[in-house]
Parts: sequence; C-alpha cells; structure tokens
Amino acid sequence: MSQPPEPVCKSSGYAIETHGLTKKFNSFTAVDHIDLTVRRGEIYGFLGPNGAGKSTTIRMLCTLLAPTSGSASVDGYDIGKQGNEVRKRIGLVSEKMIMYPRLTALENLMFFGRLYGIDRGALRKKSEELLEMVKLTPFKDKLVGGFSSGMRQRVNVIRAVLHDPDILFLDEPTTGLDPQSTRFVRDLVKELKQRGHTIVLTTHIMEEADELSDRVCIIDNGKIMAVDPPQALKEEYNTTSLLDVFLELTGRELRDSANGRISMRTPMGRM
Amino acid sequence: MAETATWDLTLDIARRDLLDLWRSKMLLFFFILFPILLMSMFGYIYPPVPKSNANTGIIGTAFPNLPVSLVQMDDGKTANLIAAQFIQISQQQGLFTVSQSASYQSARSQLVEGNLKGIIIIPQGFSDALTAGQPATVQVTVDETNPTTASVVQSEISAVFNIIGSSMSAQNINNMNGGRVNPAFIMQPISVTNIPLITGVSSSFQFLAPGFMALTVITGSLQGVATAISREKEQGTMDGLLVAPISHQSIILGKVAAQTVRGLIQGLLILGLSMVLFGVRIYGSPFIMLIVMVLGTASFVGVGIIMTAVAPDQETAQMMTIILQFPMMFISGVLFPIDQLPGWMQYIGKGLPLYYAADALRKVIILNASLTAIMPDVLILIAYTILTMTLAVPLFERAMRR
Repeated sequence: MSQPPEPVCKSSGYAIETHGLTKKFNSFTAVDHIDLTVRRGEIYGFLGPNGAGKSTTIRMLCTLLAPTSGSASVDGYDIGKQGNEVRKRIGLVSEKMIMYPRLTALENLMFFGRLYGIDRGALRKKSEELLEMVKLTPFKDKLVGGFSSGMRQRVNVIRAVLHDPDILFLDEPTTGLDPQSTRFVRDLVKELKQRGHTIVLTTHIMEEADELSDRVCIIDNGKIMAVDPPQALKEEYNTTSLLDVFLELTGRELRDSANGRISMRTPMGRM
Repeated sequence: MAETATWDLTLDIARRDLLDLWRSKMLLFFFILFPILLMSMFGYIYPPVPKSNANTGIIGTAFPNLPVSLVQMDDGKTANLIAAQFIQISQQQGLFTVSQSASYQSARSQLVEGNLKGIIIIPQGFSDALTAGQPATVQVTVDETNPTTASVVQSEISAVFNIIGSSMSAQNINNMNGGRVNPAFIMQPISVTNIPLITGVSSSFQFLAPGFMALTVITGSLQGVATAISREKEQGTMDGLLVAPISHQSIILGKVAAQTVRGLIQGLLILGLSMVLFGVRIYGSPFIMLIVMVLGTASFVGVGIIMTAVAPDQETAQMMTIILQFPMMFISGVLFPIDQLPGWMQYIGKGLPLYYAADALRKVIILNASLTAIMPDVLILIAYTILTMTLAVPLFERAMRR
C-alpha cells in the first residue's frame, strides 16, 4: 500500500468542516450554504424538522451525494477530491438499515468488514467481540431477516464501527425501537464515544439529543439556526427543555410541504 | 474514482449475491423452474417429426390426427375406392381422423364451429372422368383461421392424394406397356434425396435448443443485474457498499460475476434437459460453448446496468428490461428465422447481441464449429461488451451519487 495522501486541511484539527456546503434538487435547495465544524471526539447532535436537510448533509459528508457547491472536509480530507480517504475513516448508520436479511449476523459483519480490507482472522475476532458487546452472541449464526428491529439496529450499529472509523454518522439510530432497545442503543452511543469515535447524531427525540450531545446544531430549511451545548441553549432561551428551544427556533406549525422531489433526474433528463 | 478493482472483493460480492439466491428457496425454485418450463414447452411444441418420404409413401407430421371430413358427391365405383384409400392411408399414418358428411354445407358449418380442420369433396362426375381416362379433381376447404394448421392440412391432403395417384399411375403404366418399363421412370425420372448436414439429428428441436440457451442466458443476466442493483439501492445496502473505500468497478464486476454464474446454471440446465428429454446432442466443443455463453452474458449485462442507472426504482427497471427482451426474443433469430423478417427489422435484430450469441452457440453445438469459424460472432460480442460497459460504469457512478 502506498502512503495515504496528505489531508487538505490538517491544521484545522476539526473532525468535520464545511464551507458554504449546498445541495439543490431542481429548484429546491435542500442544504443552503452550511458552514459547520465538528470537533474531534464530540457527539454532535444534528437536529431539525423533517426535510430540514439533515440527511442530505450527512449523505454529502459520506460521499454518497455530490454537493452542488461549497466544500467539506472529513478528518481533513476533501469529500470531493479525496473521497476514498474519507470513506476509510467514516462509518454510517443511515435511515435504512444496511444489512442483508438472508445473511446471518456474523456473515453480515464479515461481508461489510471485508470491504475495508480487514483480514478474515482479525475481522472475525472483532465481529465476535462487538456481537458480545451488543449481547447478540447467541444469535450470531441466525439470519438477521428474523431479528426484531432492536436486534437489527444493534447489528447495524456495530457494522458501522468494524473498521474503527474516526467519525461515525448515526442517522436516527433509535427511530422505531422499543424503550429497552432505545436505552441500549443510547448507551452504545456513549460507549462508542468513550472508545474515541467522533459521532454525528441526528434524532427527532429532544431528550435523546439533550442526553447524548456535547453540542447540538439545529437546522431548518437547509440553514443553521443555532449551534451550542444543550445546556447553553436552554439557558439562552430560559427553559428546561431542549424541545422548547427547538420549537422556538423552527416554529410550532406543522411542516407540511411538497417540494416536488417526486421527479427523478435521469441521464435522459427529468422524468 | 481512481481505486482499482480487487478480485478478492469482487468475489466476495459475487459470492454474497449467489448465497442470497441459494437461501431464498422460493426464488431458487422459480429460478430452476423457468428453464425447465421453457424447455419442456418448446420441446413439445416442436416434437421430433418422422421424415416424409415419397418413395416409401410415408408422410411425416407434427400435427397428428387432425379432424377432417369427406363429402362424397359421386357414387361411382372409383370414387368409393379412392375415398376408402384416403381414409385408410390417413389413419394408418396418423394424419387425420376422417369423418363423412352428407353435404358440403353441413361439413362447412362443422368447420366453422371448430370441429373440423378440413373438408375434402369428391365432386360429381369424378368416377366418370377417371374411367374415361381424364384427370379428375378433388376439392379441399381448410380452416384458414390458423395459417400454420391450414398449410399443414392442405399439404398433407395433397400428399395423400399423391400417394393414391402414384399407385394409380403405376397401375395404368403397367397396363399399357405390360411390364416392360419401370413406372417410376415415367412418373418421376429424376428424384432428389437429402444428405443431412449432420447425421443422426432426430429432432428439429436440435436447431432451436442453442437459441433458447442464448436467450435464457442473456435475458436472465439482463434482468438479474438490473434487479440486483436496484433492489440493493432500495433496501439501503447499496449505501453500505458505496460508503466503503472500494471502487465502483468492484461492485459492478461482483454483480456481473454472480449473474454470469446464474446465467450459466440456467443455460446448462436447458442444455441438459434438451439432451435428456429431446435427444439433443452437442457436436462441438463444450469449452467453446461455455466461452460463448459467458460472452453472451457479458455483452448484455452492461445494458442492465444502464437501465438501473436510468430507472428511478426497481419496478421501472424491471419494466424496461421486459420491454427490451420481449421483442428481442422474436427478432433475433431464436424463434423465427431472421430472413423471414422485413429488412428494417433484420437490421435491428442483427444489432442485438442475442443474434450473435445464438448464432455462435448453434454453430458450435450443432455444426462443431471451431473458435476461428465463429470469430466474427465472438468479436461482435466482445465489442458489445466493451461498448456497453464503457457507457454503464460512468452512468452507474452518476446515478449512485444523485
């Protein structure tokens, strides 16, 4: 293997840094000139109503979506020019679970781990250790198709950390889980922070964001409304609940909108 | 993206795709059922046909015991004799089930109702004409609603009357010259015999089987790759592949490898079945045959990827592949000879790789063609592979990051 390329902006020391990051779909601007910084080792709560641009931002930072304009670096590497270096250093838990229902828990971990070039012996050891951590050792040889949502999400989260990524993106990791699993996944997130991962977490549950985040960033309509530790925000808005802050910043009315994203861009034009 | 594809990863991805098929028992069942069904269907539609032979008075037929009716309007001795001969020969050779009708009108209404495929009328004055040494005519009406059956019935009735006529001629010649001249010399001074291209071909299906193999392999891989990619996109696992530091080529190659294996399995199933059930034989090299099958798959898998890249979801991608493969079946010389098509359609047919894959397979399996002999086909398939893949890879990259 050759030497890894030089990070473009090593000096900044931020885990993630964006400058004017923008994504447009047709005339709809999903992410609008966002400048954000995520510090190393922190849990960064990324909050906003549905359609605010959270997932779009995360997909851009994970190199799954090309920005319309602006730039971003992840662990010092440019998401456009050094995509592969970025991908080596990140883990993703997205809204859709990344796992094959017809593989067993262990097979899923082995399959995805291999994509990072980890050798089979080490990978197996690591997988079994992580399965033990999420208490799924007795089920490791069962097909995940038969797992409950909570069990699947536990596999999904450890799948994302097999290669020890510096930065972990967790997009609504507790949505749809029962209280026990929610509790477990939250503790898991804390544990992962202890292990040194920087974590970007999106959630609609304000108490979760409050409990876990070192800082929260509230975005709406593709723009950042506030960034601060939860405590500081609550003090600023003179309330005891982060939910009040959130509603104050993003408004109380329902966010019904249809932005026309039903149309699909194809190489033959819009359909 | 500059990373190179690693074979190890490609194999991992391919192996997983195949494991997925293996574990989905229902899918596996239909995956195996499809070629069996296709094969048995067409195998029995084109059954082995006994060879017609004018000298021995044998008429081969693919449509045995078709119902026809005889309307005898002449009551003379000769007419009775010929009618009896017609019934006897038809039944002996299993050509027709012959009934008799009182009038043309009643027979015609039977035919219109679908109970008869043909009507043979022996008109009044038939016996008199023959007795007087004049040629006589038999009239025939066939069910023209099905062109294939109509032409078969027509030609088989003619063939039966040819046999009857020949024996009458032979009799007449003998009567005239008292046995000095061989009647065959007067009736048919020159005859034609056929030297088969390959000896021992028992079934017309031999010529169809290679085409079906090509068809199954190509359409299977086209649909397979489109489904595999769009399903992963929809279920979210594609994100897991794309967020890893691997090249898109590895992903594509892995999918292609898995589809190639699947295509080969189905193709070989077809071959095996047609050998066991319908006596098809491989005259050429099985190795060259495999090369052609792999090339056939490769030539079209790129098209599958292009479709997934263009289609917004799995259902649309599937619809697109069906739209492509359905006409392809008919215009690529698999089911119908390509020469039968209008000129412009031939151009389209010959623009599709299925034509070349089927052509090459047919030549290898039946004619024992060497690799050199099928080189034009092989080169076109390779060119097709390179062209479609060159288009497919960047389209895939764009589609995945939109």
